[in-house]
Amino acid sequence: MRTTEAPPHTQPFAAQAEAAIFAYGDHLALDGVTLGIPLGAIFGLLGPNGSGKTSLLSVLLGLAVPQSGTVSILGQAPSPAARTQVGVVFQESCLDPLMTVGETLWLHGRLFGLERGELHRRITDALQRFDLTDRARQPTRTLSGGLKRRLELARALLARPRLLLLDEPTSGLDPDSRLRFWEQLLQANAEGATLVLATNDVAEAEKHCHAVAFLDRGRLVAQGSPAELKRDLRHDSVRVEWPDCTEAGLAAVSALPGIGKVTWLPPLLHVSVDSASAFVPQLFKLASAEGGSASGGGDAVRGIRIRESTLEDAYFQIVGSPLTPEVG
Amino acid sequence: MAAALVACQALLQRDLRAVFRSRSQLYSSILFPLMMLAIVGTGVSEGLDPSLIRDGDYASFLVPGVIVMTVLFSSTFSSASFYYDRDWGVLKVLLASPHSPRVILLGKSLGGIVIGSFQALVVLLVAAVIPGIDLKWQYGIAPGALLAVVATVLLAVFLNGFAQMVASRIRTMQGFHLVMNLLLFPLLFFSGAFFPLDGLPVWLKVLATVNPLSYPADLLRLAVYADGSSYFGLAVDLTVLGALSPIAFLWGIGRHRHPAYQW
Repeated sequence: MRTTEAPPHTQPFAAQAEAAIFAYGDHLALDGVTLGIPLGAIFGLLGPNGSGKTSLLSVLLGLAVPQSGTVSILGQAPSPAARTQVGVVFQESCLDPLMTVGETLWLHGRLFGLERGELHRRITDALQRFDLTDRARQPTRTLSGGLKRRLELARALLARPRLLLLDEPTSGLDPDSRLRFWEQLLQANAEGATLVLATNDVAEAEKHCHAVAFLDRGRLVAQGSPAELKRDLRHDSVRVEWPDCTEAGLAAVSALPGIGKVTWLPPLLHVSVDSASAFVPQLFKLASAEGGSASGGGDAVRGIRIRESTLEDAYFQIVGSPLTPEVG
Repeated sequence: MAAALVACQALLQRDLRAVFRSRSQLYSSILFPLMMLAIVGTGVSEGLDPSLIRDGDYASFLVPGVIVMTVLFSSTFSSASFYYDRDWGVLKVLLASPHSPRVILLGKSLGGIVIGSFQALVVLLVAAVIPGIDLKWQYGIAPGALLAVVATVLLAVFLNGFAQMVASRIRTMQGFHLVMNLLLFPLLFFSGAFFPLDGLPVWLKVLATVNPLSYPADLLRLAVYADGSSYFGLAVDLTVLGALSPIAFLWGIGRHRHPAYQW
């Protein structure tokens, strides 16, 4: 595993895993994961579907028990008692369509042991804060996707958790809903809640997370702040679809000036460069020369994408595979 | 312990609210048994002349059987809510609360027991005031009603435990209903709910004796119908039902360790 900073063992952790191994039958979902999530942080778990993000959240919640290794949340082993301080927003909508907005909050508050008077006050506050007051008596099945998500966050925050676990909470939200959702998350964080966010939305993680862990097939492959993880990247990221690229072609690309790391994942060539505008003409020249000897033309490069380097590129370079299918 | 009780009470309240909100389910669960009493009871009394039954009054004889049937249907439906909760994702939210799966399952079972008992006792109450139905209340109305409540609640406890056990083993709601119908309908028919056990052939008597539903049917008949109508006797009915119900319930609650109740 690549770690960009020494694990701060003296720091208090909201959640910790030490060599955690968890398998569903024959499928190894977590393969010796070790990480510490500092109190008060916004921590991102980045990885493609099936990389172990949800399994890690389940283990932290104590709903899945690792076969080996240790896990703790807020200084204690995961348990029903420890969950009094934990809120969760699941990846998919988890609402009873027959209950109203107010009843949904009421049931959650009672399950978390809130007294009736205090619960009533908190429900009133939550409805106001999340702009749901007018919908308190509305069945959840009649809410839009954005409103459902808002209600689920209101529910997760109702018991004022110190640790909030979020599994791809903004997927499927429109930009405006996403913005409002993040306003609430940032407010919760400012009020002291540690946020652990499982996502494959790189822009979101890069913008909001203090630290990020890269997961790949159940393994933790890197962790650090977004800036630290991007440290080895050059300014621009160029993805080239070049199915016939040869070893000689790769060597020639690597030898060009202003080139950072070159990753070859057929048919994709990922190159981190100081300046894409200087690199691309040289690339076509090289490809043309390669194509002239191999496929008979300069059309060997079938596609090219240029943008400023992001965490997605850091993931690609460190893990060696794309974070999202469309990237590949 | 207090937190678990609050959680169970909250889950019970949620299920009750859902039933009372779903008027069609509430009304049909009460109207269907009453229609059965009116149509089948009157039809058999008038059309078949059942001389083995007191005064040939099949409708009155049928009341205990219809109560057993009401609890049976109600328990099946309420236990099926496990599948709704699972498919809606609500089960995950409940499991992520500060309570063990055992407490969650207990709270949900209580909902089934209360709803099943309530619906059956409403049917009994309505049947008791229908002019054409003549319940004798051989122990008096208050003791008889108390005995009927005990029998109904114990039956609901038994059936909920049984249904939870089945639900934890069957992956789909369709499969659950199929298995419950396959298991419980024959038990209902052999329980003496719809006909007296006295005049049956030996093999049917044997089946009735090993059938757990025979005892609540018999106990209810003792409580509300008339003297001389019991097949097993009060002590046997109470002993068997009093023993079977907690065993089945604890068995059902014990299924919380099943993967269906895990993440």
